[in-house]
Amino acid sequence: MESKQALILPTSLVSQVDVARIMRELTTLSDFFISTKARPAGSDVQPPRLSRSLDQLAQANKVNLLEDAQRRQLYDELNEVLGRAPLIHMSFASEASPKALDRIIDWLRSNIHPQTLLQVGLQPTIAAGCVVRTSSRVFDLSLRSHLRGQEPYLIELIALSVAKQSK
Amino acid sequence: MNTGGLILVVGSLAAATAAFIWVAMRLGKGGSSRGKDGLPDVQLDKAATVDVEHIFNDEFREELRNRGRLHFEKVIGENAMFLQQDLRQTTAQLNDYMKAEITKTLQEEFKKYEQSITDAKQLALESIEKTITTIEQQRVFLQKQLQAQYEDQKNQAIARFEKEMAGIINHYVLRAIGNEIDLTDQLDYILAELEANKKAIIEDLKSGI
Repeated sequence: MESKQALILPTSLVSQVDVARIMRELTTLSDFFISTKARPAGSDVQPPRLSRSLDQLAQANKVNLLEDAQRRQLYDELNEVLGRAPLIHMSFASEASPKALDRIIDWLRSNIHPQTLLQVGLQPTIAAGCVVRTSSRVFDLSLRSHLRGQEPYLIELIALSVAKQSK
Repeated sequence: MNTGGLILVVGSLAAATAAFIWVAMRLGKGGSSRGKDGLPDVQLDKAATVDVEHIFNDEFREELRNRGRLHFEKVIGENAMFLQQDLRQTTAQLNDYMKAEITKTLQEEFKKYEQSITDAKQLALESIEKTITTIEQQRVFLQKQLQAQYEDQKNQAIARFEKEMAGIINHYVLRAIGNEIDLTDQLDYILAELEANKKAIIEDLKSGI
């Protein structure tokens, strides 16, 4: 693993919860290796199953999870990400599919910040689009907001229609 | 009493008068001839008294009284008749006068009454005209007020309609769309919106980090 390169987060790692889960997995993995050392040789061991996200993370950052030092470094970097990475809240009208989330997180990490974490929410009243909330601002990119913005045009259309009917 | 009776009475009176005149003249002649005959005046008086008594005896006097009574009754009757006629005439005239006066008075009173009625009618008409004018003014004022209120309410309703209608349509569209649009179908729109707000998001995140 290259130490100076920023940690590359796979698109499967979306939120702080995912990062925390990966960190727990790393801890579990480290615990497993410690316990393996303590066991007598030749005894049966059941290694913990790694999640796809952790696999992708390890592959993306070329981390050998069998190496204790690399695991520890990865853990520290993840911890740093958890504390420093920009967090964006996005609310959608319906449940976001993993595929859609992949595209969105990919765009965010390509255009906003490489380690952007996303917290997904549900807001059915917006109908379509999304509401983006950063640390101090809210970007209403929903259809509701768009329709409200078009209200003067709608009123103009209604007035024109009424004027035509009165004639 | 007829004309003949009247002539008879008048003739009797004329005869009596002539007899008195004759006797007086005889007595006058006798006085002047007293010197010739030498008869005293006493004898003449006696002779005259005898003649008078001879002429105006009781029967004649009774006849005269009767005639006078009859004449008096006749005169009284005639006068009564005249009086009655006069009375009737006077009564008729009085009636006519009274009728005329009453009619005149009544006509005057009627004229006054008619004038009063005319004046009252005129006053009533003027009052009605004033009332009509006032009512008309009030009607015009109320009409203007109602028109203004109507316009005001209409404008308010239109403004409210415009304001509410847009909200209603938006609400309807949002509800109609609901969760029908899949997020995958919205991705292009979402990414385009994100791209449009990219700079603002980055700036906000930089200031927050």
